Amino acid sequence: MLFSKPSANVALENEPSDSSVYAPPSDDIETVVGPSVNVEGDFASEGNIIVKGSVAGSVHTSRHLSVEPGAKIMANVRAGSAAIAGDVRGNIKVKDTLELASTAKVVGDIEAAVLKIDSGALLFGKVSMPGLQQTVSENRSAARGRVGGKRAEAQILDLEG
Amino acid sequence: MYIYLYDNFLRQKKYDSEIRAMEVRLTDYGIAGKILRLTNYIDAKQIIDDEIKRGAKTVVIVGNDHTFGHVLSRAATCECVFGFLPIGPDNTIAKVLGIPVGVGACDTLAKRRREKLDIGWMNNRYFVSRLQVPPAKVKVIYDGKFTVSANDLMEVVVCNLQPFYYKSTKKDSNQQEVHPQDGKLEAFIRPLTKKRFWGYNYESPSVFPFEEMEIVGDSAFAVEADGKTSKEIKVKIKLAHGKIDMVVGRDRKF
Repeated sequence: MLFSKPSANVALENEPSDSSVYAPPSDDIETVVGPSVNVEGDFASEGNIIVKGSVAGSVHTSRHLSVEPGAKIMANVRAGSAAIAGDVRGNIKVKDTLELASTAKVVGDIEAAVLKIDSGALLFGKVSMPGLQQTVSENRSAARGRVGGKRAEAQILDLEG
Repeated sequence: MYIYLYDNFLRQKKYDSEIRAMEVRLTDYGIAGKILRLTNYIDAKQIIDDEIKRGAKTVVIVGNDHTFGHVLSRAATCECVFGFLPIGPDNTIAKVLGIPVGVGACDTLAKRRREKLDIGWMNNRYFVSRLQVPPAKVKVIYDGKFTVSANDLMEVVVCNLQPFYYKSTKKDSNQQEVHPQDGKLEAFIRPLTKKRFWGYNYESPSVFPFEEMEIVGDSAFAVEADGKTSKEIKVKIKLAHGKIDMVVGRDRKF
């Protein structure tokens, strides 16, 4: 046993003979990137994604993305919602809620509807929120209008003078 | 009309009484039929096609996991209903299908509870239950979009019907399991990391649902599909759109 080669049987030995061990399958389709696994390329999934290893390229899911402590993502990320506790180097675009845990390290721009950052999380990048973008642009246009109006008034006064 | 495909190992004397009991039960139910004996050199598809032409509607495989894999790897696309009568040891697929081993399987067959089953396609053959690549230096390419690799050896298990069981270490008493979902194949990838001096440790598995994937190795690696082992350098696996019409038991695991 001491010098035994790794075999598939190790993983599959003593399979339960009792049918009561079986549990009903879950409905959620879930992709798990385990530790010491490297994923390269356009990593897309229709279901939830849990990352414990490293991913390079791009990550896209319409549902939840969870980046565990110790995981590394060197990619642009797009997800429905996300909880990040590992390293991310790339831009993050989340439709719904983005949570950065205390162990999270993010280098890149963030776009999310709701952002929750725990104390201790590290973030280097620009944060933008879709709700706020509208009001900012409205304020800018209003300000331009006001400036333009004052100039017009001044011109009228000059002409009268 | 029923056709029974008996595996060659059933010629052994120790199975005589069980087979006789089965045949009596099948006759009682009025579903006894023609018996054909399989050998390694017989192409199951050709036999089944011939029998379908002669009016066979149900083909019953009698044997174990190996027999099941041997027949369905070629004949999965035949236009008939498949049944399974498991006999002897090495019957894990029967458990998944909810069919009891031995005479009780005749009752399940007589009830004719039919289900359409997904099947996987590997290089040039079908697999119903599970495909396994024992630890080897391989990388996996999913849908031609992204590549999954490990630093050292990697074990790959593709599950169609059968759940995936694993232990984190040899001594681990808690056996964990992951259930495959319907409509997709699931690939479970377990990298191995070297221990300090010798031997390997299994890491916790990665799970990727997919419709098409390729396993590529630098050198030939073993592939076991439905109990049949072969050596390959490149394996292309996909979910076949054709489905098997199969008689299953009430206690099936899907």
